[in-house]
Amino acid sequence: MRKLITCMLVVLSIQLHAAEDIPKGLITLDGRQAPPLVLNDLDGESWDISKAKGRWLFVHFWASWCGPCRKEMPTIQAIYNQFDKSELEIVIINTAESEDTVFSFLASIQMDLNPLLDRDGLVTEQWQPRGLPSTFFVDPDGKLRYLALGGRPWDSPAYLAFLKRLAGN
Amino acid sequence: MLPCPRPERNSKNTKRFVVTNLFIIGFVYSSVGLAAKAASTRHEDKDVLVRLVARTPEQLAAFYIGRGFKQAAIAKIQETCFITVIIKNKNIDVLWLELDNWLFTHNGQPIKRIDRNYWKQTWQEVNLPTNHQSTFGWTLLPEARDLRRDESVGGNVVIPRQTTSFDITMRFKTGADKSASLKTISFENVQCENGK
Repeated sequence: MRKLITCMLVVLSIQLHAAEDIPKGLITLDGRQAPPLVLNDLDGESWDISKAKGRWLFVHFWASWCGPCRKEMPTIQAIYNQFDKSELEIVIINTAESEDTVFSFLASIQMDLNPLLDRDGLVTEQWQPRGLPSTFFVDPDGKLRYLALGGRPWDSPAYLAFLKRLAGN
Repeated sequence: MLPCPRPERNSKNTKRFVVTNLFIIGFVYSSVGLAAKAASTRHEDKDVLVRLVARTPEQLAAFYIGRGFKQAAIAKIQETCFITVIIKNKNIDVLWLELDNWLFTHNGQPIKRIDRNYWKQTWQEVNLPTNHQSTFGWTLLPEARDLRRDESVGGNVVIPRQTTSFDITMRFKTGADKSASLKTISFENVQCENGK
């Protein structure tokens, strides 16, 4: 019994430490509920955040005209297939651009992501990112936990380690 | 090697991809050329980096036409003076960007900044589609923002087009509760880029 309690305390301690040990450029949010998010992707398939409970979400807002977004996007591509969607799902949302613009931009930088399209920009407004690009982390209960300030090199060791901790790897 | 579009898309999309890419490549190259002509001003100290770039009417038209904006909107944009401002908080716990605390003056006389309310009303008058209103909004500098240490922000501030130089005084409150020292950065003899 003592061993079990010790083990649980160690696990709890590691989890608490992991939660606080966030890389540079990420800030902790207050844990308010994530705003609604129901959008179609480039193939017309609908994605609904309310059906994505039980896993961490990496929710990324971007536009092709935004320089830091263009710089950051390849690092998102680099991590995209490293996580099981049941643990950490990467959701990228284009803000207020046409399907043609999004499709040709992603192809031009040889990316194979399927973004959601916020055609009129209203969903982005509801999420109130600090600017573009912006990445929110939503916990398995649907609460906003972290926000990345601007573009980040997601495939670099510190960020990758953080993402893996969230995914439970 | 040509970029590889997502495999499930059909030949119509491939054709569309080639055409739109050619357009984008042309636009990017033309924008780079225009950017080289823009006036740039810079301030840097141990705490803050600020860079100003005055945009020419041609640059503005190229950018917004490239995003599909209608001519009536382009005309409204070109009536004004866009200054792109990039701010990096290098070393202050919290730097408060609040555009209402900035002064634009010519010979000591204030120049009224054109704020988001003006644009909201203008876009309603010209029936600018919602997605373009959204894009336009994201290209403006936020009206207010707390900038954390190492955080950057960029966007346009807009004033009526000026034919003579003007001064900008940027006043930033600092500290989490805005009670620490006031940071003031001044730029003199800034000019709108009137193009051609």
